Amino acid sequence: MTESLHYVVIGSGSAGHGAATTIRARDPGARITMITMSRLPFYNRYDLPKMFKGVTDWRDLLAEDPKIYDELGITLRRNSRVVDIDGRARTIALAHNEVIAYDKLLVCTGGGPNVPAILEDYRPLMHGFGTFEQASATVAALPPGGQVVILGGDMIGLDIAFNLLEAGYRVSLAVGEQTFWPHRVEPDERAVLLKSLAKTGLDLIEDRSVVAIEAADRPARRVHFDDGSMVETDIVMPFFGILPIVDFMLGAGIDMERGVLVDPALKSSNDAIWAAGDVCQIWSDVDRDYRFYHGWKNVRVMGELAARNMTGAEETFDTADESVIEVDGNGCIRSTFWEH
Amino acid sequence: MNGTDVQFAICGSAGDGTIAAGDILKRTMALMGYKVIAFDIYPAEIRGFGKCISRVRVTTEQAYSLKHQSDVLMSLNDAHAIPHVGEVRDFGAVIYDNAPIARLPEGGHVSAHIRPMQLPYGVSFRSISDRATGNARGRNIVALGYLAGLYGMPAEAFHQTIANKFATKPQAVTDANVRAFEAGYEAAIGTFKLDDVVMGSPLHRADGARAVMMTGNGAVVRGLMDAGIDCYFGYPITPATTIMERLAVEMPRRGGRMLQTEDEISAIAATIGAGYAGARSATATSGPGLALMAEMLGLGVMAEVPSVVIVSQRGGPSTGMPTKTEQSDLNMAVFGGAGDARRIVLAPTNVEGCYRCAGLAFELAEKFQTPVIVLLDLYLSNRYETVIPPKENPFEPKQATGPQGPVFRRFELTESGVSPRAVPGQAGGVHTITGLEHNELGRPSDQPDNHVAMSAKRYRKLEPATRYPGLTTIKRFGAAGKVDIGILGWGSTFGEILEAMFEAENEGISCSAMKVVMLSPLPVDELEAFFADCRVVLVPELNHEGQLATLVSGTLGRPVVRLPRATGAPMRVDEILAEVRRLAAETAAAAE
Repeated sequence: MTESLHYVVIGSGSAGHGAATTIRARDPGARITMITMSRLPFYNRYDLPKMFKGVTDWRDLLAEDPKIYDELGITLRRNSRVVDIDGRARTIALAHNEVIAYDKLLVCTGGGPNVPAILEDYRPLMHGFGTFEQASATVAALPPGGQVVILGGDMIGLDIAFNLLEAGYRVSLAVGEQTFWPHRVEPDERAVLLKSLAKTGLDLIEDRSVVAIEAADRPARRVHFDDGSMVETDIVMPFFGILPIVDFMLGAGIDMERGVLVDPALKSSNDAIWAAGDVCQIWSDVDRDYRFYHGWKNVRVMGELAARNMTGAEETFDTADESVIEVDGNGCIRSTFWEH
Repeated sequence: MNGTDVQFAICGSAGDGTIAAGDILKRTMALMGYKVIAFDIYPAEIRGFGKCISRVRVTTEQAYSLKHQSDVLMSLNDAHAIPHVGEVRDFGAVIYDNAPIARLPEGGHVSAHIRPMQLPYGVSFRSISDRATGNARGRNIVALGYLAGLYGMPAEAFHQTIANKFATKPQAVTDANVRAFEAGYEAAIGTFKLDDVVMGSPLHRADGARAVMMTGNGAVVRGLMDAGIDCYFGYPITPATTIMERLAVEMPRRGGRMLQTEDEISAIAATIGAGYAGARSATATSGPGLALMAEMLGLGVMAEVPSVVIVSQRGGPSTGMPTKTEQSDLNMAVFGGAGDARRIVLAPTNVEGCYRCAGLAFELAEKFQTPVIVLLDLYLSNRYETVIPPKENPFEPKQATGPQGPVFRRFELTESGVSPRAVPGQAGGVHTITGLEHNELGRPSDQPDNHVAMSAKRYRKLEPATRYPGLTTIKRFGAAGKVDIGILGWGSTFGEILEAMFEAENEGISCSAMKVVMLSPLPVDELEAFFADCRVVLVPELNHEGQLATLVSGTLGRPVVRLPRATGAPMRVDEILAEVRRLAAETAAAAE
């Protein structure tokens, strides 16, 4: 009798969830375990801006009925942090001292916010939006019609900025190199895009760099710039792109740069480990290099593709897929990053 | 239920401080003015690593039992807590130590078993305790502090309870525990609460200041004391021991006498002896002890001696399951012993009832000159409830005794069956007393007519006991008149029956519940009326056979539906409710 394989998926976001359900569909007898640091079942992070419009109960943000895990026989391990992977022994160590053996492992831990070194000390004074808990704290800190300063302005941040404007908040955007990240934008394109942004109601802060953030009474924050100017605001939100979460994989014995290096089939240098989503760098024959492929749609596609390959398929990710950002005929910005 | 209704379950190993944490929690909640029902489960072994669970239900409205689902589970030992994760309701919380020392195999940590709709809270109880107090011993209090902080309970109230709990120890002990509590509380303040458990404010009650936390056994002690107990004789046995322990402290203060005898036979013999001498005397035991007492109880019946026996049932037979609850001594309490030895048996259904029954047992014993058994079980003996003590002592003092007439007939065949009574030393009260069948003077007689008459007298005299003033011997709850489903219960199980009945009523099921407090003699008229009103009568009880079901159906000649459970744990509300639903569906189908 053949023993069922144990598939472990680290990460319960779009990639992880898509992967787990795909594995179940293709291998009904498999044991599937999802491990996540999140305390909540799967919710779409791109739905979090709904919280600015009064959706504050996490149950209203769930992407799936949590019963699906029982129905599909998927063990969901929440609030669990992976601290080590032993690629030879095929085991995972959790922070709470539990060890889990796997046959095949998929890493979809995504990325965390990239905060420039100059702002590192000011993390406690800034609000994030990467998780439900962070988003809740952000919403709670914002008075009605309050002021938000967004630093950097990657595509995630721009999406949130538009939602804030729509919800009646005032938003300033401190433009920088990471504005429009992960799109690589040429200077002439950038000017067009910024012009479009300005028309949305965003107050653009250009040609200045943030040097300090200060706590105050009302409003609660002061943002200081290198030209000596200062902006008062209720909250400050950093959006400088994301960094892959891979620190726990340093002992896994697989090839890594900034992310996990995988071939176009999303397999790492270890035959039992795959990676998908914002955590992986995929080999591109076109670029002759490993590249990140961000964006919600890419992440989901990668999760499902990795799952198919883990269960016997031999498919490759379309690394020729280019990211596009442009101003459409209505003067609005359109980005492949936002497609989901 | 409107308002606050939150049940906490704390699960750990013996030595983890599980029961202590639960004790502080329930006392604090009572102090704040909530109504509390709490029950601890602990292992039979005095030392070792057995499972302990403290469940505390906190409400603003009156509750009658623990809920079958807890809102919050706090694990102090994952191996023990894992089987109980399933009892946490959807969107409730599981709180656990996220930094255990030992390396765990897959599934060895409680977080592995938390279901998708339950909310996990990992906290490093051990390291927080270490930082706050210099050692990990306070991790149970850290956990308690975390729980209090998470649900916004006032820390000051806990400080007060902690101080009270450790009042007899050096101040440093209290200080360390308060620091541990504060550290846990602080950790919770930084935690994002995701579950939907809400602790509302306690309702303001005019009598709130008088509310006290009390166990069934504690209430028994209070009842015995308020009724003026003179003598207590006992031999320790779980779960009755705490009665003796408390009386050993209290009785000398009041000039009473408490004696630990060499065994249960001696205890009941001394109790009957003291009762014969006119003292209000009692003993307490459990099933195995009651078995030993059976012969002497027969003497009490035959010699018509007032005496009170408190029996707290546990899992049986034989040594059985000393720390698990069961209602399997009904038959022995009602029928146990040689001959036709009818006695009075009371079975309170809640803590307040324990107080009433214990105190009134003395009155009944004297009024009807017979042993009275008060039948509890471990669940009721150890269950904490908030109760309002009466403003005035509700119990009557001892009745005057003394010979009447020129010839003292101690066992005179009166119309009521109750004969004049004299205690030793009373002038004109000379009589013979014996375990042999006897005539009116007490002298041995085995004449057929005499035995018939005396047997009838001993039965006849107890009939009015079912209507004894101040004692609820039987009571109906819920809808009056005709109903589809009647639920008949006794003892500790009746709380669960009431909760199930209220839920069933909310679902539109026509039902009603009746509790039987006096098991012997049975209040037959009220039972007949109840059966006449119900299409089906369900009898949930904690034994294998269905002993009340047998007693009632045998007495009335009426069918019943049995729901016996002998798991060692209290009856589950959802089990009763499921059976009520099933019967309601059957009844509805039959009516079509």
